[in-house]
Amino acid sequence: MRPSRWGNALRGTLLSLVVAVMLLPVYAMVAVASASDATDLGGLGFDAAQFGEHLSLLFGQGGFPLYLRNSVILSLGVAVLEVVLSGAAGYALAQLAFPGRRVLFAVVVGTLSLSPIVVLVPMYLVVRQLGWIDSFQGMIVPFAMSAFGVFLVRQFALSLPRELLLSARVDGAGELRIFLRVAVPLLRPALLTLFLLQFLAQWDNLLWPLVVANKPGLWPLPVGLSQLQTEYDFSAGLVGTAALVTAVPPLVLMFVLQRYYVAGLTLGGVKK
Amino acid sequence: MTLTVRLPGPATTVSGRGQRWAEARAGSLLALPAAVYFLVFWVVPFAGAVWLSFTDYELAGVPAWTGLDNYHRLLGDPGFWNSARVTALYTVASVVPSIVLALAIAVPLSRPGRLNGVLRALVMIPAAMPLVATSMVWSAIFADEGLANTLIGLVGIGPQPWLTDERLALWALVIMTTWKHLGLFVIILTAGLQGLPSGVFEAAAIDGAGPLRIFARITLPLLRRTLLFVLVIAVIGAMQSFVPAFLLTKGGPAGATEVLPLYLWATGFGFERMGYASAIAMVLLVAMLALSLVQFGVLRGGDDG
Amino acid sequence: MTLLTRRRLLAAAALTTASGLLAACGGSEPEAAVPADGVPRGKLSVWLHQTKAYDAVFTNLLHSYIQEFGGVDVTPLYVPVDKFDAKLLTAFAGDAPPDLFKIGGWTVPGHARKGRLAPIIPKAMGVADDKALIAQYDQSAISSLSYQGRLYGVPIDYTICFLYYRRDRFAEAGLDPDKPPTTWEEVAEYSKRLTSADGKKVGLQWILGNPQWTLMQLLALVKGKGGGILSADAGKATLATDAGVEALRYYGSVGDAKLSNPLSGFGLFATGQAAMVVSGLFAMDLFPALNKQLAFGKSFDIAPLPHWDGAQPVAPAYTWAWAVAEQSKLPYTAWHFIDYLQREDVAARQLKDASLLTPVKGWEKLPNADPKAMEIMAAAAPHADFGPQTPVWQEMAKALTDAGDAVAFGKKTPERAAADFDQAMRIAL
Repeated sequence: MRPSRWGNALRGTLLSLVVAVMLLPVYAMVAVASASDATDLGGLGFDAAQFGEHLSLLFGQGGFPLYLRNSVILSLGVAVLEVVLSGAAGYALAQLAFPGRRVLFAVVVGTLSLSPIVVLVPMYLVVRQLGWIDSFQGMIVPFAMSAFGVFLVRQFALSLPRELLLSARVDGAGELRIFLRVAVPLLRPALLTLFLLQFLAQWDNLLWPLVVANKPGLWPLPVGLSQLQTEYDFSAGLVGTAALVTAVPPLVLMFVLQRYYVAGLTLGGVKK
Repeated sequence: MTLTVRLPGPATTVSGRGQRWAEARAGSLLALPAAVYFLVFWVVPFAGAVWLSFTDYELAGVPAWTGLDNYHRLLGDPGFWNSARVTALYTVASVVPSIVLALAIAVPLSRPGRLNGVLRALVMIPAAMPLVATSMVWSAIFADEGLANTLIGLVGIGPQPWLTDERLALWALVIMTTWKHLGLFVIILTAGLQGLPSGVFEAAAIDGAGPLRIFARITLPLLRRTLLFVLVIAVIGAMQSFVPAFLLTKGGPAGATEVLPLYLWATGFGFERMGYASAIAMVLLVAMLALSLVQFGVLRGGDDG
Repeated sequence: MTLLTRRRLLAAAALTTASGLLAACGGSEPEAAVPADGVPRGKLSVWLHQTKAYDAVFTNLLHSYIQEFGGVDVTPLYVPVDKFDAKLLTAFAGDAPPDLFKIGGWTVPGHARKGRLAPIIPKAMGVADDKALIAQYDQSAISSLSYQGRLYGVPIDYTICFLYYRRDRFAEAGLDPDKPPTTWEEVAEYSKRLTSADGKKVGLQWILGNPQWTLMQLLALVKGKGGGILSADAGKATLATDAGVEALRYYGSVGDAKLSNPLSGFGLFATGQAAMVVSGLFAMDLFPALNKQLAFGKSFDIAPLPHWDGAQPVAPAYTWAWAVAEQSKLPYTAWHFIDYLQREDVAARQLKDASLLTPVKGWEKLPNADPKAMEIMAAAAPHADFGPQTPVWQEMAKALTDAGDAVAFGKKTPERAAADFDQAMRIAL
């Protein structure tokens, strides 16, 4: 099948159009960020002066820079722990035989289906028992691993080239050394994908930090932003600007990691 | 609760007791943090929730054992049935179009080329947009004079009350979540497609098979495992979806977007009937596990790659 | 040895879940609730929902209190209003509530029933007993904060519903902006004239989908017809009566449920799509904030809430409350601080800066208030109605919202919606 030049051009145009439509709401975000008040939301124009005013207001207020810092700590903390812990567990589940493997995998899959809302109160009790209310560890540790993360790494690790692991064993390398020296480099795309996805998830986590942190000094962006936006009283432009600024760090991270997440999401779908 | 997922056996060529012992030790060591973590933060809270579902716990006092009362109450609770219906509808409405759409975009997008490379980067942008921060922007998009109405105006459809029409509101949520997740699905599928062996396609093309036939007979079956992954995360995501409705419609208008997790939230934290809310969560959990099993079963088939 | 450690591990796991749950009900009595010298001491934590105007007033008050009473430190936390209840409930369940908090007066009986609130300490408030304190406030407002004969809170942010109307829209439609409708029948008639040909502009628009406002709107209609949402003893629902059904029918007949705005009815009034809404005192500041072109008395105005032709007026009202946690180790200090917040000069300042009315006795004469608003509220006060007092307030208000919305969206007939409400409440009560 030899694609014609016209076919290619048509396909390219259509795809570009679809992607453009997907990016329209992002533009709407920019437009809202420059809206002057709550009745002026529908416009699609961009008012740079208004936007600048909102920006200086946002960074001039005490709260926002602090929320930004807290979000960075929270998201980085969770993402790093997740990579280390879920990475290890995912690899073990896929490549090593150890007692309790089946049980652990069943728990992981079961947890995937468990609604986080219903464990909110029991989890709060656990964290309180540990004395972690009002602390970063109270916000970070409950998300230090995830069923999704273990599942993702396991799926990827299933398709690691057997021969490579085997030859390392023949060479007499210990299992931990094989994991660190052979598997981790090969798992890098999956681990960095997990890093990205968990960073994004925590950047957007509202409920848990709100419940567990009683000091505004600990609040991350989603909680801080819902402060800006209450039922009867909000400045649309300011909230829009805050939303826009909030979206920048995840976007940058995504572009930096782009090379990896495409490979990481291949999941070893097909054996080569 | 064991899934019928076959775990590949450990490498046995370098067999012998020593190897098995080394593996067990390394495996236990690597999995130990996971075991402790899941025990403390999920199994124990989960056991707590199971127990609460048999009690009258109202976020105060000592929970009293009430047996199956909560489950019995479910049967006659119109709010629960409404939410179950809304969740089923929402799941189908958001999973099917987003996977079909993702496939339709991924197939041409997986071809090499500089334009495609750029588009693959752009398509992920919505996935990086935090929903909580941008929900206000979405209510502006769905407002009377908002972007959604401007767009449908281009094809000659009059303005619609997106968030206040009980037939449309659910679709407004579907649009928002599809927008958010489509990029991720496209990238997963693209990656899967790019990993397919090209030889098979060439052979099929030589045999004179048309593109649609190739897609149905070769691409789809080969892509099964990737599709399964996308399907599982899409279905679980849709059934647990709480944030879009919580932020955008609060379950309205007239209960049209009151998805089960939202009803769970209202029951637990609004009405303070945590025992009853736990029972609802158990039903949701069983439904999701059953669905996951069906998906594994259907898409795994005999060979699991 | 192994057995021992395993048992200990299991015990620890069980402890983590069980003790937390059980501790919620234990709660040791605070020793020496009232200090001998009557001086407040200690570190207080206070939670309140966030509102731009009030937070500024409150922060200043807090500093002046700390200055005056050196032994006290107060840490405030402003929580977004729609997540406030969930946060407070989780803290209650986890045995870690703040010392004092500002909550909806309608939730006080429910919290008190579950043993979460500490009754007032008269000595901290400078009075001899509950009765003396009640005498300092508007009777109906403060008595809505008691449960089984004991007082669990003091009122703040009190309002009686007004009819807000757009003078500019009235003039446009050829109606006299100085003669707002006084009966519900007139409201329906005016609404017809105020509705534009394309249906994009309407007369009265209800605040839909919001439990608190639905309750107040329907309360006015149902009670005005001589009915009730719940029976007098709050033992069962009574919406499926002629009064209830007629009220629901009327509810569905005015306004257009499909008009949308990110801020619901409030937003529609700000844009002018709605010419009338039912709202409270706070909205006098809200509307000009939402739309800078709106000025009170010029483009919009207030009037007493209408009544049914020839029937008694009903004045739906609500109040927020300061309350103290049963678990607080410093109930005396907490109530002492609350008493400070309720002083008359403070009340005057809150009214001026935040349109927030503290219903102390003689509130209608507080300086800095808009005289028209005070006059309307004072006239309505004898008919003030705080709605059914029930520990399942949240469930009732939600079920009522479902009923009202279902009729407004044409999903159910008024008869059906009323019957469904009564049925839902049979399960809840």
